[in-house]
Amino acid sequence: MAAAPPLNEAAPIQVQAPPQALRRVPLVANQRGVGWLSDRIAGVIEGPTPAWWKISFGISLTMMTVCFAMILYLMSTGVGVWGLQHPVMWGWAIINFVWWIGIGHAGTLISAILFLLRQRWRTSINRAAEAMTIFAVMCAGIFPLIHIGRIWYGWWLFPIPNSNGIWPQFRSPLMWDVFAVSTYFTVSVLFWYMGLIPDMAVMRDRAKTKIRKFGYGLFALGWTGSNRHWTNYEKAYLILAGLSTPLVLSVHSIVSLDFSVSQLPGWHTTIFPPYFVAGAVYSGFGMVLTLVVPLRRMLKLEDIITVRHVELMCKVTLATGSIVGYAYMMEFFIAWYSGNPYERFLFLHNRAADPFILGPLFHVAPAPYWWAWWPMIFCNAIMPQLFWFKKVRTSMLTVFVLSILVNVGMWFERFVIVVESLPREFIPSNWGYYSPTWVDILQFLGTFGLFFAFFLLFIRFIPLIAIAEVKGVTPQADPHHPLGGAKTGDRH
Amino acid sequence: MKTIPPSCPEPQIGPKYWRSLDQLAETPEFRQWVEREFPAGASEFTDPVSRRNFVKIMSASFLLAGLGVTGCRRPVENIYPFVKMPEGYLHGVPQYFATAMPSRRGAVPLVVKSNEGRPTKIEGNSDLPDSNGGTDHLAQAAILSLYDPDRAMRFALNGSAQTRQAALDALTALGNAQGDGTGLAFLMEQSGSPSRARLRQAIAAKFPAARWHVYEPIDLDLGRQAASLAYNSPVFPFYKLDEARVIVSLDCDFIGSEENMHGNIRRFARGRALKGREDSMSRLYAVESLFTLTGVNADHRLRVPPSMILAVLARLAGNILSPFEGDQRLRKLGAPAQAHDNWIVPCAQDLKANQGMSLVMAGYRLPLVAHLLVAAINETLGAVGRTVEFRQTQPSTEGGLADLAAALNAGQVRTLVILGGNPAYNAPADLNWPQAQAKAATVVRLGYHEDETSWNPATHAATHWDLPMAHFLEAWGDARTADGTLVPIQPLIEPLFGGMTELEVLAVVGGLTPTSPYEIARETFRSIGGKSEDDWKKYLHDGFLANSAAPAANVTYGAGELVRSLEQITPAPAPGKDRLDVVFYRDAKLDDGRHNNNGWLQELPDPITKLTWDNAVLLSPATAKALGVYTERNAQNQKFFNHAVEVTLNNRTIRGPVWVQPGMADDTLGLALGYGREKTGRVGRGAGFNAYKLRASDSLYYASGALVRDTGDASYELATTQSHWSMEGRPVVREGNLEQFRKDPAFAQKMKLEEPPVVAPLYPNPLDTTRANGLHQWGMSIDLQRCVGCSACMVACQSENNIPIVGKEMVGKSREMHWIRLDRYYAGPVEDPQAVTQPMLCQHCEAAPCESVCPVNATSHDDEGLNVMTYNRCVGTRYCSNNCPYKVRRFNFFDYNRRPLNHLYKSPLVTETDGEWELLRWLNNPDKGNLPEDEWQLARLVKNPDVSVRMRGVMEKCTLCLQRIEQAKIAAKVKARDSDHIRLSEKEGTVPKTACQQACPAEAIVFGDISDADSGVSKAKSQERTYKVLDFLLTKPRCTYLARVRNPNPEMPDYKEHSLPYTSEEFDKGAFSPGESQREPGGKGAL
Repeated sequence: MAAAPPLNEAAPIQVQAPPQALRRVPLVANQRGVGWLSDRIAGVIEGPTPAWWKISFGISLTMMTVCFAMILYLMSTGVGVWGLQHPVMWGWAIINFVWWIGIGHAGTLISAILFLLRQRWRTSINRAAEAMTIFAVMCAGIFPLIHIGRIWYGWWLFPIPNSNGIWPQFRSPLMWDVFAVSTYFTVSVLFWYMGLIPDMAVMRDRAKTKIRKFGYGLFALGWTGSNRHWTNYEKAYLILAGLSTPLVLSVHSIVSLDFSVSQLPGWHTTIFPPYFVAGAVYSGFGMVLTLVVPLRRMLKLEDIITVRHVELMCKVTLATGSIVGYAYMMEFFIAWYSGNPYERFLFLHNRAADPFILGPLFHVAPAPYWWAWWPMIFCNAIMPQLFWFKKVRTSMLTVFVLSILVNVGMWFERFVIVVESLPREFIPSNWGYYSPTWVDILQFLGTFGLFFAFFLLFIRFIPLIAIAEVKGVTPQADPHHPLGGAKTGDRH
Repeated sequence: MKTIPPSCPEPQIGPKYWRSLDQLAETPEFRQWVEREFPAGASEFTDPVSRRNFVKIMSASFLLAGLGVTGCRRPVENIYPFVKMPEGYLHGVPQYFATAMPSRRGAVPLVVKSNEGRPTKIEGNSDLPDSNGGTDHLAQAAILSLYDPDRAMRFALNGSAQTRQAALDALTALGNAQGDGTGLAFLMEQSGSPSRARLRQAIAAKFPAARWHVYEPIDLDLGRQAASLAYNSPVFPFYKLDEARVIVSLDCDFIGSEENMHGNIRRFARGRALKGREDSMSRLYAVESLFTLTGVNADHRLRVPPSMILAVLARLAGNILSPFEGDQRLRKLGAPAQAHDNWIVPCAQDLKANQGMSLVMAGYRLPLVAHLLVAAINETLGAVGRTVEFRQTQPSTEGGLADLAAALNAGQVRTLVILGGNPAYNAPADLNWPQAQAKAATVVRLGYHEDETSWNPATHAATHWDLPMAHFLEAWGDARTADGTLVPIQPLIEPLFGGMTELEVLAVVGGLTPTSPYEIARETFRSIGGKSEDDWKKYLHDGFLANSAAPAANVTYGAGELVRSLEQITPAPAPGKDRLDVVFYRDAKLDDGRHNNNGWLQELPDPITKLTWDNAVLLSPATAKALGVYTERNAQNQKFFNHAVEVTLNNRTIRGPVWVQPGMADDTLGLALGYGREKTGRVGRGAGFNAYKLRASDSLYYASGALVRDTGDASYELATTQSHWSMEGRPVVREGNLEQFRKDPAFAQKMKLEEPPVVAPLYPNPLDTTRANGLHQWGMSIDLQRCVGCSACMVACQSENNIPIVGKEMVGKSREMHWIRLDRYYAGPVEDPQAVTQPMLCQHCEAAPCESVCPVNATSHDDEGLNVMTYNRCVGTRYCSNNCPYKVRRFNFFDYNRRPLNHLYKSPLVTETDGEWELLRWLNNPDKGNLPEDEWQLARLVKNPDVSVRMRGVMEKCTLCLQRIEQAKIAAKVKARDSDHIRLSEKEGTVPKTACQQACPAEAIVFGDISDADSGVSKAKSQERTYKVLDFLLTKPRCTYLARVRNPNPEMPDYKEHSLPYTSEEFDKGAFSPGESQREPGGKGAL
């Protein structure tokens, strides 16, 4: 066989490495090879159970028990065990629902939208973020069910033919909620599981015990890694990503309609859908950061979930946080601009007026919940602005602290929306003051138990990073890499 | 003609064994029950703890009622279920009987609804000439007392149960041993019953030496005593408030706490009704220390401490009576009120300018001399015969409680018969009544509850009989209404626990025959109303004896008594921070404490303070600040933890929480009587503090020289139903004055916010199409001008619609269940505000915001325009309540109807009732409920079978008494037969009244068909004062309001500063005003 003549023998092409400023930090640091990646990620599962895991799991299980105990108490006794009262008929349950649902936004956004946008850095975090989404939606889903007065009739909200001979009322946003949340949950689970199949096969192949082999094998659905499998897989993944993308936008838009369809000042606001979606992405990324920053360290995954990943997530948080901050300003502007005295009253007298600055400025008595409004502004509108600074973004400690503030702030935002609109609205004789009971508080804390119990099980039994995908973003996996790939890996 | 009622047949929700009646009737055990003397049931108690046996007894007395003895009206001996139905009786169709509820000297004429032999709803008797079918809240709530599980249920000798027969034998023996009656004393409550008067005469003839005493802790009868003295003849005043153009009330809360409230309200509201701009209305001046309903409705209110009221009256009298022989004395008495001359002088001029159309009234708290002065003023103003009539009555010759206590202490009383009342609780503290009572050798006590006066292990007489008293719906009697009309008290049910009436006890002790109350009342009627059976039947059917009102007395006035009294009176010194004035007042709900165990009344918010389940030490804001016990009210302090204070008066001390009450006179304490019972039922236990402990014989209503000490403890929570007092300038209650109304009758409609333009709706309102199918279109109009805020509607609604009480803790969490509430707002300066009241109920919006957000179609519209609530479909998302701008929906946070109120927070998984695990109890029998069995059995009896009893987790709200509408429709359809004349029409009298409308003595609430242009509601809505609350939301409420109009006197000092009502002034100032341009030209000053 004659060797093909060289195309250009005289002058071999010299590709200059780009200047330092343009070089990107590689998505997998330290030029880790594919074998290392498999070992490291699978090793989290295969290695001995760490002590911190056992302790955390014990705590989580206890809190989960508290969650179910509170549900039992609530169901057997009545909604009155919560702090709800006339006229505040929705309280912590709905706040927690919206909060958890918001957190559930990051996973699908990362896995679907970033996938469609070819943001390859997603691969290191998408699995964990999706798992977080699913568990968060589970926590969220508890609340609308148990908050109703007759829990045993909760299924009447589904369009199932029943003895009442009557359909649900499709004009009600709560009805839309049922569809939106259940669809979102179903598609998220499917999408997550789809992406898991190749890794399940990896785990199956690495398994040393029969039980493991059988268990992982069962979920691997006979994956062999053949070309046909990969082709089908990629297509299905793309389709599911396409399906999930609108859901990211629709779920929280519809949750926001629970409020904006009503005619209560403070709820009846047209900017709610985009504002809620931005807030959801914001809180979702906050939660991902809260989880990932300690995890990468504890599980020694710093080479896979790099500082760059954290930085990028901080940037998304900054962007969405700024949208949320803008929405707050807009709400106030509209309250003033609309000329509706009830709305003006609400925003100034119910929410913003504090005893120190705004109250004295506008000569207004302190709003009953001013102590909730200010943390919201502080955590959601002011603190994320620190992410403009690279130093902040790259310091894991500050990122962790700020990510927790994001979650606190978003909880207060829901508190402000749900609780601060209701107690003092149209007719002053109704006015009241809502405060939660110990059952409310334990119920909320209990859902953390549920969430973390599931999440800890997840990191112990399921590869928390998509092994197959993350290999695909290593420089050496790119056959067209101008520098021959495997060597420097500074472009991709 | 009314038909003879059936013999208390099976209630729909009755116990199971009813279904096997025949079978049961054959068993030997049952035969044994039957063969015993009737109310044997009651005798089965061995001690009060064993009330658990109640079920057994209850069922037995029902069965007996069915089998042996009863017939509620006469002894009918029906043993078996109907083979032939009694004439006119239809199972499941309620029956109505005329009766009356006795009050102190009068009575409220009633028509009571009976379902299957159990009374379920009290309504006013509209057939009386002096009635419109309205009642007061006390009458409405009386039905609950009938089914009070803590009623006295047993005959007891020294605390241990006896059979009824043993008690009757003992009473007879006691009567036989009395000789000429020396050492025998009767202590009674006031009564207008001719039968009692007749028995008393008969007994007095038999026992001439017997002593007769009457005690009312709150005596509303001073007006009669004063009139009898002034006119030197036994007469009582009868006020015609509707005839008066100018009314001056001197601490006389004729709307809220005087005798004949419902009659006063009716006449007062008529006198103020406005239709068009040419109508005139009366003007009310009030001088008072507390803020009362009369003060709320007054056009001018003077806030003075109680020691000053007499001075103001004297000064007013000085302006009117002069020249007068007691002038000098009067001037001296009135001197302290000189500072108020700018108020008193124009008021007096207004009175004089309306000669013959003016009326001055003095309240029960004022001393006799004040009532004499008022009589003199009315006489001078030519009011007598026009706005006040004096009518003939019988002189009262009974002694008081103090005489009796003295006699007891002197050992002159061997046998004491106490008929009703509760002197051990409410006697003046200085009498030391419990000890005095124990000095009699034998005490016979007839009481509705086993209370403080009942046998007491610590202090008791050697022989103490406790007899259970029958409810007025259980026993025969008679009474006279405020104008003297004779009304029957007709039972609807055999005494549940074999109770007796005072007539019965009197007859037995007096050895008279007959002893049956029926025979006694029948006998009395023969002497008054005619001998024929037809007269008697007509009397019972109508519920009154026509033309039996007391005739006007032809009397002449004499000022001698007044001058004599003026000589004796010494003016009270003015109060100060360390010598406060005290007002002891009749509580708006519990009266003198007699309704203490009535849950509806305990939970009914006080019309002014809106407090429930408690009384409090009322203080004006300034006084509270001066004493250092002022609690800053802010949005967070909804729980109302207030300072507890110790009030010391004449070395007696009580302790209670402070309630800062705007509009109270400064340096004055208001203490409501009737709370803080030591021995009462489960409902009243722990409610409030006992203010009787401060009360002495010489200062029954007013006292001075009280000291208040802050205990520093602020842990006592007061539960109020309205935590925000101001309307914040919002046009919720729209109010103008008469002048403004005459200029612009539609002033209220101009107070609305700009409505958004109506563009094509995304989703057309289904009512727009379905209303064509509706035969009627229901609507309601509430005239705020007529509404005085008495709260009768709230209790009526509670009774009609099976609304549960929720207890103090729940009210503290704003979880009360009232479907109609009375909002009370203050406006103006916090020290001396004006107040307005507004009934607020489901507005039945045509574009109802609640409907579109319910995910399960539980609340929807019917084609007649009602916003209906389907409890069975409701899952309790509560979104409807969040989206209701009026916040009139109520949520069952707990199983209020089935569980004890102190167990609400306890999970049924860990609690037990009657020794049975609650969950198991429920599994075994879901209909059983988790109340103690005795409570459960009685709680079920009071329910209206036409209205669902809601379970926990469902939303509920006003239905505009849908059940009444449906009943009326069914009746119309039955009547129409084949014709298509099924439309209800007001002209034919087939349109039902809602419960609130029916109870309203002021006729403020009008319900009806708005598609009928001639209906009352259509006419009311066509008035120019009509407005919709929150109209800018375009919810299109079917319930509209008529704006309130005040009638101030331009000469009065407060008018000179504020020409508009304070609420309108706040509206004009606030952000809610749509601006000057839409108001009257000329701006605010011209309004």
